[in-house]
Amino acid sequence: MTPPGRASAVDADGTPLFDLPPELAIDTDVARRVIADFIRGQLRQAGFERAVIGLSGGIDSALVAYLVAEAIGAPRLRCVLMPSSSSSPASQADAEVVVADIGCSSEVVDISPMVDGFFGVGASAGAAGPEGLAASHLRRGNFAARMRMAVLYDRSVTWAGLVVGTGNKTEALIGYTTLFGDSACAFNPIGDLYKSQVRQVAAAIGVPEVIIRKAPSADLWPGQTDEAEAGFTYPELDRLLFWRIDKRRSVEEVVGLGFDPAFVARVDRMVATSEFKRQVPPIAKLGPRTTGVDYLYPRRRPGSARG
Amino acid sequence: MQPLRIALAQIAPRLGDLEANLARHHELLADARVGGAGLVIFPELGLTGYQLQDLAAEVAMRLDDPRLSGLARATAGLSAVVSFVEESGDHRLFIAAALLEDGEVRHVHRKVYLPTYGLFDERRFFSPGDSLRAVPSRLGVGVGLAVCEDFWHLSTPQILALDGAQLLINVSSSPGRDLAASSEVGLGTASSWRTLMRTYAQLTTSFVVFCNRVGVDESISFWGGSEVIGPGGGAIFSAPLFDDGLFIADVDLADIRRERITLPLLRDERPELVSREWRRLIAERAGLARDSTAEDGAEDGLDVAAEPGPGQPIGFRGTPDPAPPARSRPRRGAA
Repeated sequence: MTPPGRASAVDADGTPLFDLPPELAIDTDVARRVIADFIRGQLRQAGFERAVIGLSGGIDSALVAYLVAEAIGAPRLRCVLMPSSSSSPASQADAEVVVADIGCSSEVVDISPMVDGFFGVGASAGAAGPEGLAASHLRRGNFAARMRMAVLYDRSVTWAGLVVGTGNKTEALIGYTTLFGDSACAFNPIGDLYKSQVRQVAAAIGVPEVIIRKAPSADLWPGQTDEAEAGFTYPELDRLLFWRIDKRRSVEEVVGLGFDPAFVARVDRMVATSEFKRQVPPIAKLGPRTTGVDYLYPRRRPGSARG
Repeated sequence: MQPLRIALAQIAPRLGDLEANLARHHELLADARVGGAGLVIFPELGLTGYQLQDLAAEVAMRLDDPRLSGLARATAGLSAVVSFVEESGDHRLFIAAALLEDGEVRHVHRKVYLPTYGLFDERRFFSPGDSLRAVPSRLGVGVGLAVCEDFWHLSTPQILALDGAQLLINVSSSPGRDLAASSEVGLGTASSWRTLMRTYAQLTTSFVVFCNRVGVDESISFWGGSEVIGPGGGAIFSAPLFDDGLFIADVDLADIRRERITLPLLRDERPELVSREWRRLIAERAGLARDSTAEDGAEDGLDVAAEPGPGQPIGFRGTPDPAPPARSRPRRGAA
C-alpha cells in the first residue's frame, strides 16, 4: 500500500519504474498543490489565462503539460510539437499520446526548414554559408533549441499564453541546457525538482509509463541519450547534487558518503562553469540606480499585468 | 472569563496592492463580526504582500494614516490584528503588526528579528523593532504580538509571557520549503513551526495563535496552516495547508488559569537569574570579563576552543596558524 502523496515507483508487475534515491523522495501531493498555485499565480499576476509549452515526448515537458492542465484546465493549454529531421519519430508519437490523454490543443511545427535554412542541406549552403554544412552536432543542437524558443514565443502571441519552462534542476545545475533556447520561459514550475523527483511526480500525476521508463535524451541525434553522453546516471548525479548543494556537504564529506572523487570533481566543475546560464547577464553599474543591482522590484506589481 | 471565538484570516494578499488588500480586510472583518468572532487575525504584511523589495517604501503607512484609522473604526466591539509596512517619523520602514480594538490602534509591534539569510532579505529593506511588550486587551487577557521570525528566538515568547501576555499572537508570511517525504505533513517548514508553537504554548502556559498567509509571491509559496494552540501545548484548531479562507476557532480562556495552577512554570521563572546570566554573557562576549569555565584558547564568550579545520581562526599575520595544538593558543582580549 502506497501512503498518500508517495508515488509508487513500481508498475503492476512490481518492476521498479525508475530508481528513486530515498533522500530525494518528496511528498508529491504537496508538490502538486504548490505547483498548481504557482502556475495560477504567475498567470494571474501577468494578466494571462493561457499557457503554451513545447512538448518533446520526454518526461520533463510531459510532466509540465500535466501540471499545467491540472492547474488551469486542458482547454487553456496549447502544446507545440517541434520535431526536426534529427529527432526520433517515437518522440513525436509519445508527445501525441500525452496530448490525447490530457485533451489539450496542439500543433506540429517542423523546425527542419529553419535549421536547414541556416546550416544548409545536402550540398546547398544555407544562410551560414558553405561552412555551415559542416556544423557540429553541438551547433545544430543549440540552433534547433533556439528555433524552438522562437516558435514558442511566437505562439505565446497567437495563443495569448505564457511560455512555461520545462527544464529540471539537474540539467540546470550541470548546465545541460541551451542558453536562450530550451531554458527560455516566462516561469518554470519544475526547475527546483531533480530528475529523480520529476519521475516521482510524473508517476503520481499519471504521465504514461512509456515516457517515464525511456532513457532521457536531448534528441539531437539518433540514439543519443543524456546518460550515455554524460557517463553517469541521473539517480547518482541527483544524489551527488543533493548532498553537495542542498545539504551543503564538502567534497571530503561526499567522498565519505561513497561518491567517487573523480565523479565529484567533474560534477563540481560542470556546476561552476555553467553558473552564467542560471543568472541574468550582469549590467555595468554606471548610474545612480541600476536594474538588478539597486533597483529591485518584484516582477509583477499593480499595473504590471497585461490588460 | 468568556469563551472567545477567534477568526484566522488565512489570505493571499495581492503584492503591492494596498487598496485591494484593504478592501479584503474590511470584508473579512465584517464576515468575522457576523460569525460572532471576538478576535480577528490577519497575516504578516497582509495589507501589502510580502516580497515587496523597493515597493516597501511605496506602500508604507504612517500610524496616523487614514486607511489605518479606517480599519480601526471597523473594530467597534472587536479586536483585530493587522500587519503592514510602517514608516516612522524619521522615515525608517518597519514590518508592523497592530492590535486594533474598539475603533482604536491599541498597540503596534515592530518586527524585532528580520531574517536576512537564505531566501530572506528583510534587513536590506526594513529596520528592526526595539521592543517586546505585552498589552492589556478588551478580551480580558494580556496580548503579546510577534511577527514570524520573532518566534524563531526563544526569548520572544518568554519575555511576552512574563510581561503579562496570556495570548501570544504570531502573524506570519512563512515561505513553504523542503518537501521531503519524510516530514510529518510533507513540508519541512510546517513541521518546524508546529513543533515550536506547541513548545512555546506549553512552556509559557499561554494560548499561541498563529496566522500564516497563503498564495504566491514570485518564486515563493506560503503554506497557511494557521493554528490555535492551548496553554497545555495541544492544538485546538489547525487550518488546512494552502487554502485561502476565514477559519474559526473557539477557545475557553479559563484554560489559562487551570493550566497555570496545575503547571506553575511562570511562577517559577527566575528573571533575575536570567538577567544576571545574560549580563555576564554580554560582558564575556565583548571581552570585558573572563569566563571562569572556558577552556584555554576559547574565543571570547565561547567556552570551548575551536578545533583546527574549516572554522580555524586566522593567525595574527593574516595566515592560518600552522596547526599549533588548539588548546595552547594564547587567549585574545582581556584575561
